[in-house]
Amino acid sequence: MLQCIFILSDSGEVMLEKQLIGHKVDRSICAWFWDQVISQGDSFKQQSVIASPTHYLFQIVREGITFLACTQLEMPPLMGIEFLCRVADVLSDYLEGLNEDVIKDNFVIVYELLDEMIDNGFPLTTEPNILREMIAPPNIVSKMLSVVTGNSSNMGVTLPGATASCVPWRTTDIKYANNEVYVDLVEEMDAIINRDGVLVKCEIYGEVQVNSHITGVPELTLSFANPSIMDDVSFHPCVRFRPWESHHILSFVPPDGLFKLMSYRVKKLKTTPIYVKPQITSDAGTCRINVMVGIRNDTGKMIDSITVQFQLPSCVLSADLTANHGAVTVFSNKMCNWSIDRIPKDRAPALSGTLLLETGLERLHVFPSFRVGFRIQGVALSGLQLDKLDLRVVPSRLYRGFRALTRSGLYEVRS
Amino acid sequence: MAPPAQTNRSPSPSQPSGKSEVTDLKSQLRQLAGSRLPGVDDSKRELFKKVISYMTIGIDVSSVFGEMVMCSATSDIVLKKMCYLYVGNYAKVNPDLALLTINFLQRDCKDEDPMIRGLALRSLSSLNVANLVEYLVGPLNAGLKDNNSYVRIVAVIGVLKLYHISVTTCIDADFPAVLKHLLLNDQDTQVVANCLLALQEIWNGEASTSGDAMKEREALLSKPFIYYLLNRIKEFSEWAQCLVLDLVVKYVPADSNEIFDIMNLLEDRLQHANGAVVLATAKVFLHLTLSMTDVHQQVYERIKAPLLTLVSSGSPEQSYAVLSHLHLLVMRAPYVFSADYKHFYCQYNEPSYVKKLKLEMLTAVANESSTYEIVTELCEYAANVDIPIARESIRAVGKIALQQYDVNAIVDRLLQFLEMEKDYVTAEALVLVKDLLRKYPQWSHDCIAVVGNISSQNVQEPKAKAALIWMLGEYSQDMSDAPYILESLTENWDEEHSAEVRLHLLTAVMKCFFKRPPETQKALGAALAAGLADFHQDVHDRALFYYRLLQHNVTVAERVVNPPKQAVSVFADTQSSEVKDRIFDEFNSLSVVYQKPSYMFTDKEHRGPFEFSDELGSLAIGTESDVPAHVVEAK
Repeated sequence: MLQCIFILSDSGEVMLEKQLIGHKVDRSICAWFWDQVISQGDSFKQQSVIASPTHYLFQIVREGITFLACTQLEMPPLMGIEFLCRVADVLSDYLEGLNEDVIKDNFVIVYELLDEMIDNGFPLTTEPNILREMIAPPNIVSKMLSVVTGNSSNMGVTLPGATASCVPWRTTDIKYANNEVYVDLVEEMDAIINRDGVLVKCEIYGEVQVNSHITGVPELTLSFANPSIMDDVSFHPCVRFRPWESHHILSFVPPDGLFKLMSYRVKKLKTTPIYVKPQITSDAGTCRINVMVGIRNDTGKMIDSITVQFQLPSCVLSADLTANHGAVTVFSNKMCNWSIDRIPKDRAPALSGTLLLETGLERLHVFPSFRVGFRIQGVALSGLQLDKLDLRVVPSRLYRGFRALTRSGLYEVRS
Repeated sequence: MAPPAQTNRSPSPSQPSGKSEVTDLKSQLRQLAGSRLPGVDDSKRELFKKVISYMTIGIDVSSVFGEMVMCSATSDIVLKKMCYLYVGNYAKVNPDLALLTINFLQRDCKDEDPMIRGLALRSLSSLNVANLVEYLVGPLNAGLKDNNSYVRIVAVIGVLKLYHISVTTCIDADFPAVLKHLLLNDQDTQVVANCLLALQEIWNGEASTSGDAMKEREALLSKPFIYYLLNRIKEFSEWAQCLVLDLVVKYVPADSNEIFDIMNLLEDRLQHANGAVVLATAKVFLHLTLSMTDVHQQVYERIKAPLLTLVSSGSPEQSYAVLSHLHLLVMRAPYVFSADYKHFYCQYNEPSYVKKLKLEMLTAVANESSTYEIVTELCEYAANVDIPIARESIRAVGKIALQQYDVNAIVDRLLQFLEMEKDYVTAEALVLVKDLLRKYPQWSHDCIAVVGNISSQNVQEPKAKAALIWMLGEYSQDMSDAPYILESLTENWDEEHSAEVRLHLLTAVMKCFFKRPPETQKALGAALAAGLADFHQDVHDRALFYYRLLQHNVTVAERVVNPPKQAVSVFADTQSSEVKDRIFDEFNSLSVVYQKPSYMFTDKEHRGPFEFSDELGSLAIGTESDVPAHVVEAK
């Protein structure tokens, strides 16, 4: 049971305080929290569960905003963390992004939302679709509307129908002139390539995102050409379990709008789309660095947004890096960023340069890890393929769209 | 990034200006209070917003309480909401003024709009003023019978709030019975869930004094009721599902068929997108099958994949909490995860407490077939920029070596560490080589050849120095210059600040003396003299003891100091298995994240006023303070 939620800005200010039970939590807990952050640095800021002298704190950080919840009782930690994540998601959805100003400008809405999302410390409604019906988001349309009609309430006039229906994620009376449903496969590739250039781990974490605008209560079924490659799946509550068990078919009544239908993992992939080959040799106080990037397996699709990032070890005094393609930036914290974007046809991008080591140091002892970013549109690298999407009752006009995208997740090359 | 500490305390600089603005607000509100002009709601709304924003910053605006209440007569729902918020915040400190709000809140509780009814009821029950509870009973009763589920949902929680304000009022009004009726009959699952939540709390509170409440509490765990909930579980919201699952954990099924029925019913919950549901389900599975060893193993297999996915898919905060649970499972049943070791490889930008957990898991899951790869991976971390992790990974390599029978490759790796010429790597590796030799004396030849090349000048850390000295003493017959190194160390006796190192030095010189007396005699004399003059009690005593022993009889002394040794088979673990079982019983709770059973950190008795803050200090490094399951120091 959560007792209190604080929303804190990056400068340590309490932007919002929501007491959840009769027993008030004093604000001094935030002061304690910041004292710890200051004295212990970022590693503390990243811990999700913290014991303070008086309370247990859950924290998550999104876009520089800290969401802090307090409890004094033993409770499932994931419940606290998941709930805060939902709050953050709902807020950024409502306010179209999260930052200090937008929360301060709309704090009344934030209060209203929290009021509906949690009562007496126990999570209540976190389904964005239902919340939207109870509290209108502060978008331009509603602002316009309030100016024109003079009615400035941002409250829903009626209670959402879904609170009483057995499909809690959807209201019954949705109408569209054009019925559309889009299915996106979004995959992230995690990989580790070790010092010898061997691919030690390569995995894909994927999501099926659906954006549906369909009249009424549609029954959708979605099937894959090769469902067996998925290792572990988890579903949005709307997915029925039996058809998946028996035929690997996703059968569901979608929420309105964009949502994550399922997520999956594909293990043990054998190749990566691009290679990054770092070479570091050091002798007599200087160090030569050379990084080559190229396409390993041509997927037939354009790879873009390629970046290579690495942190120079602290013993490096200065770095002189140049690349034959793309831009290289060395930040003051010795983080290097090489943005390549697309690989040109005529030559392989290469970064080279020299690092000057601290005096007294002959050779480099610690080696940087290179984090690689890329994006490939139009292909799901796991090889997962959508087969078909059916509606039980097909409305007069229906547009179906499919897309795929693969981007790098935690992709690192060690040197 | 670093926030200025003063901003979050209280509004230090803005306080004076805040005061005058509050009086300003007060007069403006007063003007608007009676006004019925069109557009007055908008100006009220601006003022309310200001009041609430002051309240949020931490300025005390309780002085406008009366004016706020006067302005609350409005049909604008946003205004109402702000007013409710304000009232809820200040009613407790202004119990007399709070009486003023009762009237309009009670009126709102009868509004046509169910949303207003619900909101008003929620605020009314959140006033938290003991002498106003009499006004709450009526609206709550009406709310529980409301035909709109939104109002009922609020009313049920309202009863719980009432219970916490005034137990007797709640019991006298017979609310528990009404809730029980709703629990069993209401169509709306959220109402049912809230009833469950409220009744659990109420009956838990009453059980100590009332036999009826005790019976009622037990009835929640009866078979029909549990099945009633389980059969409807998919209709519940994800949070309510957690609540139900938490109750099911306490249920004791009659036979194994029942266990399988429940697990079949809940199996798809493991594929829920909400991590809290997945973990709660995993807990049910683990607890149901505790007595069935085979099935219990299958449960590990079954819950493995969803947990691994949660680790890789969630936000860093979620994945840490899940990882802590996974850590617990891996430690209990490493063989189940032996094929998944790659999941525990560390990524460069993970925070170090996550890396630490992962290293421990890698150590635990290493088996004959994966050892080579895992050790290769760990060796890469040894060159990591993050020095504490580099150290941890070397220790992990050592631990794996101590677990395995085939240590051939690992010894080579460890010896490579010694050649890396980084002081902290050398230091950690030395300690490990020492432990390794205690377990596998047969490797002494290879190890000593390398250790002999290390100059004792390059080793500064006490633990490593002690390890090196121990090896010099133990294997002095194989290291040609051992007596001379010991001698030079003895000469620098006064510069050695660690008592541990001096103790080891004494013993090592003794051992060396028995093996190579002519070469060591000088060092022994010097060491004993220095030891006797040492200000540290232990060092002094040991030197004296050795001295008298030698005086008494040299052969006896040799038998005491240098007896034939048996290889150590298992090193002691620091966390007892009883404690580990306790933590396991509390799966899906904070204890798992802290790696301590809850009584150790929630019971007042178990932590002194200061002990707790000590723990916090160590939390910074990792989650656990007492698990560096290091080897018991050799004497």
